[in-house]
Amino acid sequence: MLTGLYLFRQFNMQINERSDRELMTEEQGWIDYLETGLENGNTFILRTREVAVYPVNANPNAFPVIEDIADNTLKPKSGLPYRQLSQVVSIGDISYQIIIKKSQEQKAVLVTNFTRIMMLVLAGLFIVVIIFNWIISRNLWAPFRRSLQKIRNTELNKIQTLHFEKTNTKEFNELNSSLNDMRDKIYQDYINMKEFTENAAHEMQTPIAVVRGKLELLLQDHNLNEGQLQSVAEASEVLNRLGKLNQGLLLLSKIENNQYEPAASISLTGITKKYMRLFDELIKDKGLIVETDFKEDFNTRLHPVLADSLVANLLGNAIKYNYAGGTLLIMTSKTDYQITNTSRLEPIPQNKLFKRFNTSNDAGESSNGLGLAIVKKIADANGLQVDYHAKNGVHYFELKILK
Amino acid sequence: MKILIIEDERALRDSIEKYLEYQGFVCETADNFLAGKEKVAQFSYDCIVVDIGLPFGSGLDIVSVLKEMESKAGIIIISAKNALDDKLKGLELGSDDYLTKPFHLSELNARINAILRRRKFEGSKTIRFNEITLDPEAQRLTVNGQVVYLTEKEYQLLEYFIANQRRVLTKPAIAEHIWGDEYVQAGDYDFIYTHIKNLRKKLLDAGSGDYIKTVYGSGYRLTDN
Repeated sequence: MLTGLYLFRQFNMQINERSDRELMTEEQGWIDYLETGLENGNTFILRTREVAVYPVNANPNAFPVIEDIADNTLKPKSGLPYRQLSQVVSIGDISYQIIIKKSQEQKAVLVTNFTRIMMLVLAGLFIVVIIFNWIISRNLWAPFRRSLQKIRNTELNKIQTLHFEKTNTKEFNELNSSLNDMRDKIYQDYINMKEFTENAAHEMQTPIAVVRGKLELLLQDHNLNEGQLQSVAEASEVLNRLGKLNQGLLLLSKIENNQYEPAASISLTGITKKYMRLFDELIKDKGLIVETDFKEDFNTRLHPVLADSLVANLLGNAIKYNYAGGTLLIMTSKTDYQITNTSRLEPIPQNKLFKRFNTSNDAGESSNGLGLAIVKKIADANGLQVDYHAKNGVHYFELKILK
Repeated sequence: MKILIIEDERALRDSIEKYLEYQGFVCETADNFLAGKEKVAQFSYDCIVVDIGLPFGSGLDIVSVLKEMESKAGIIIISAKNALDDKLKGLELGSDDYLTKPFHLSELNARINAILRRRKFEGSKTIRFNEITLDPEAQRLTVNGQVVYLTEKEYQLLEYFIANQRRVLTKPAIAEHIWGDEYVQAGDYDFIYTHIKNLRKKLLDAGSGDYIKTVYGSGYRLTDN
């Protein structure tokens, strides 16, 4: 825009200068004519549209005055632009006023056209520059965007398949090779962590088995008194919990290691019915009011072991944390699996919901703090979404199949 | 009844041996794959308890060896791995059962009893304890020749008690044997009490002795003295 303005001014000045020179030459012509033609002392008067020469009573000016005027005399209100030269000169002993006008109409048209063309060219240039810029930056940043996309789409357990390839840009090569190094490191750490969890849990099974065996033998000892027997039994029960905890951790790490690939579609509705039968005594014992609405089977691709674990955890919790005479509502459809239960427990805060070892103090000793973490892990690994909310002492879990 | 225990962890091997001997079995042990293989080749056993992870080889190979020999011994695999593949492979190779560590010794004992009973082709398959007789195939209880009706759980409970007679059974061991792991997920062990109370009452009503005793603070025991 500034360039346009500058060009316009320059062009305008050029044109003005030229017309000014023309005006001065013409004036000189008139002066020459007056000087040669009026030696005899006659006065000369000329008044035309463009030139006026007439004697005046005024002192001559050393320089002509050249200015832009708008002449409305000829065509009223047309405001035609004129360039006008006026000077009082002394020819012989008479002062003459010389006024010469030149129409600037041509010039105005020229300037307008010129400006329009300039603007068009500039605008075109501007657009072309933008387009080129866009294309260049798109091509230039393409490797960067590819890498970015890869980082965004990757999952931790599939990170080893990620590869940032070589590009034509040195900077991006540096970036990508750093990313490759980072990927290796993350993958290695991930593997180490996974192996550690699995090995630790695995290696603990045998010592737990040993201790459990020893405690069981100790229980058979007839020389122990009641207090000692009770201590042994308590130790044995706590050890039992440790064993369960360990099994839970093992299960979690196995799900993470994709050791439970889904084989076929499985009906959670069917599994729920199975567990309803298994838990029947507990339900009756607590006097729970059970309502089931098995409209359609909820089928999903899931390993049988995980399907059992998923249902056992959700249904088990709904019974365990219910109160005597409470209600348990199970609803399944093609896309939805819902378990609703009453409970005296406070709603679980969303940020703690699926965290490991995040048991509320009210949940008591029977909780190992892994149940919901396992539920979440199974859901995540198998394209299921698990939602929870609680209101007025009613807790509600829902499973949905993700597209 | 002769049992071979192939397990490399000494403390666990000793515990198993001791518990099974209490229950009247004759036990031999091996602490690695080669020793196990040798014993299996030289002697005959009624049941073999074998760990998968052994020094110098896998317990699964011992199962294969036994099958090649067309051994009549029952086989129970015990493993720290709860891997489905191992379980299936073991059962496919011909093992009779698979038990994941950590297990209750009473559970192992009950399973050995069940296997031995299944393998006993000639003679009676009934389980006897004084005037109590159990018929595992029909899951039927008779006391002094009179049939007593039990629920499925009560029957299993009684069978478990008799297999581990005179031993203290803890509530977790009982719960796991009869209701399975998941059941414990849904509740505590209180429900066991109701079942034992009912079973005891039915036995007494049928004229049997009061054999099921509460061991204060630790569990229950079936005993006749």
